[in-house]
Amino acid sequence: MKILKTQNLVWLLGLIPPVLFLLWWDHQAKQGGTNAHIYVSLAQIVGALRETFSSGELTGAYAASITRAFSGLFIGGILGTTVGALMGLFKPVEWALQPIYNSFRQVPILGWLPLIGLWFGSGDGSKLIIVALSAFYPTVLFTFEGLKQADTSLLDVSRVYRLTPWQSFWKVRWPAALLSIFTGLFQALAFTWISTIGVELLFASGFGLGSLMQSAQLQARLDIVVVCVLFVGLTGILLNTLIRQLSQRLLAWRSVRT
Amino acid sequence: MIKLDALFPSPRPRRQAIRAEGGPTGPGEGQVTRKNAPHPSPLPGLGGSQSGERGRLRLILSIGSPVALLLLWQVVTALKLFPPEVLVSPAAVVAAFGEIIASGELQRHLSESLTRLGWGFGFGATFGLAFGVALALSKTVERIFGPTFQALRQVPVLAFIPMLILLLGIDEVFKVVIIAKAAFFPVALAAYDSIKGLPKSHFEVAALYKTPWWVLVGRILIPATLPNILAGARLSLTRAWLVLVAAELIVADSGLGQMMEMGRQMFRLDIVMVGVIVAGVIGFGLDRLFQLIQAHALRWKAA
Repeated sequence: MKILKTQNLVWLLGLIPPVLFLLWWDHQAKQGGTNAHIYVSLAQIVGALRETFSSGELTGAYAASITRAFSGLFIGGILGTTVGALMGLFKPVEWALQPIYNSFRQVPILGWLPLIGLWFGSGDGSKLIIVALSAFYPTVLFTFEGLKQADTSLLDVSRVYRLTPWQSFWKVRWPAALLSIFTGLFQALAFTWISTIGVELLFASGFGLGSLMQSAQLQARLDIVVVCVLFVGLTGILLNTLIRQLSQRLLAWRSVRT
Repeated sequence: MIKLDALFPSPRPRRQAIRAEGGPTGPGEGQVTRKNAPHPSPLPGLGGSQSGERGRLRLILSIGSPVALLLLWQVVTALKLFPPEVLVSPAAVVAAFGEIIASGELQRHLSESLTRLGWGFGFGATFGLAFGVALALSKTVERIFGPTFQALRQVPVLAFIPMLILLLGIDEVFKVVIIAKAAFFPVALAAYDSIKGLPKSHFEVAALYKTPWWVLVGRILIPATLPNILAGARLSLTRAWLVLVAAELIVADSGLGQMMEMGRQMFRLDIVMVGVIVAGVIGFGLDRLFQLIQAHALRWKAA
C-alpha cells in the first residue's frame, strides 16, 4: 500500500526543477534595479498572454506559423518524394542528382536566407521556400533509401512472375518503401517547425510566432517573448508526440527508433 | 528468356553474347538487359559484364551534372538574362572570394565564427555528456531532471534566441550560450540512451568479478557507449553550426552569418554567395573532421 502511494507520487519530483526555476525567476523580477528591468514577473507573463490572446495577435501569429509549417511540409514533401523516387528508381537520375543534392545539403538551411531574400524579397514567398526546402531534404533521402532497400528477393520473385516495370514498382517497391517515406515525412515535420520559427525570426516582417517574438524583443517585452517561447515549445512537444504515436501505429512491426 | 536468365547462375556468357549482338545502346535485346540492370540482385553475373560501361556512365553523370549546372549559370549570366543584382556570374563570385580573402575580411569573420563554435560546442558537449551520464546512472537525478530535460529538448533552440538576447544582451556570452544549448541536447540524449541501453549482464558480470567502479567505467561503460556518444556529438556539431549561422544572421557584429547579412543589406549578391558556399564547405569539413575522429576513436571496433 505504501509502495503504491510513493510510486504514484514519484512523478512529482519532476516538477521540482521547473517550480524552483519559476520561484527563482519571480524572485529576480521582484528585486529592484536592473533585474526588474530584465526579468518580468509571472503575473506580467500571464498578463501578456491575456493581452496578446484577446487582441488576436497570438492566435493570428500561431495560425500563420502553423500554416507556414504545413504548407512547407506539403510542397517540400511532394517535391522531395518525387525527386527521391526518381533517384531511387532510375540509376542515371541518382548519379546525376546525388552530387548536387549532397553539396546543396551541406549549407545550413537558414544560411540560404540572405540569398533567397535577395532573390525573392523578405516576404512570405521566401519564407515558404526555406521551410519547404527543410522538408525537401529528409523526404528525398528517405524516399530514395526506402526504394533502394527494397528486398532483392521480392524483386526476383516479381521477375519470376514477369511483372511489368509498373507492376513491380506499384506492387512491390512502393509498398516496401512506404515506411521509410513516412519516417522521412515525420522528420520533415519536425524540421519544418524549427525552420518556420527560424525564418520568421530572421525575416520578421509579416505574421508568425517568430515575428511576434522578434518584434517583442525589439520593444524589450520579455513577457510576450516568454509567451511565444511557451507556445513554440508546446507545439514542438505536441508535434513530436503526434509523430511518435503515428509512427508507432504505422511502423509497429518494424523496430524503428523515434 | 532473358528475364529467366537473371534468376539462374552462370548467365555471364549468355549476357555477354547479348551485349555483343545488340550493343548496350542498340535496339532489341540490349534494351531488355538495361531494363533489368537497375534492380540490385545478389545473383552472380548480373551487372558484372556491364560494370565497365555503366561505371563510365556513372562517372560522366556524377561529374557532368554539377559541371552542367555551373555552365548553365555561366551561360545565363553571360547572356545577361537577369540584372547583376539578381544573378552574378561564377567569375564574379570567385572575384569576390579573392577580394574578401585579400582584405582579410573572410578570415576575420571565419575565425570569429569558429571561435564561438569551439567555445559553444565545447561547453555544450561537455555539460551534455556529464548530464546525460548522471541522468542515466542515478534514478533520483532521472526522476528530478528527466521530465524537464525531455520537455526542453523538444523546444526548437532558435526560439530561445530573442529571450536570451533580452536576458544576456547581444554580446559574445549570448552566442556561446545559444550554441552550447544547441550542442547540449544531442550529446546528453545520446549518452543517456546508450547507457540506458547497456545490457544488464555487463553490470552483473562486473559485480560478479567485484570490478572496482573506475575499471567498470574505463573498461565497460566507455567502450560500450562511445560509438553512440560520438554519433550524438557529431549531430551536436552540425546543429551548433546551423544555430551559429542563424544566430549570427540575427545579431552579431562579426562572423560568417553577419558577413552574409551585410552582403544582403548592401545587395552584394557575390558576397552572399561566397558566404553560402563557405558555410556549406565549413559545415561539410567539420562533419568530415568529426567522422575522422570517430573512425580513429573507434578503430578497435573494426579489428
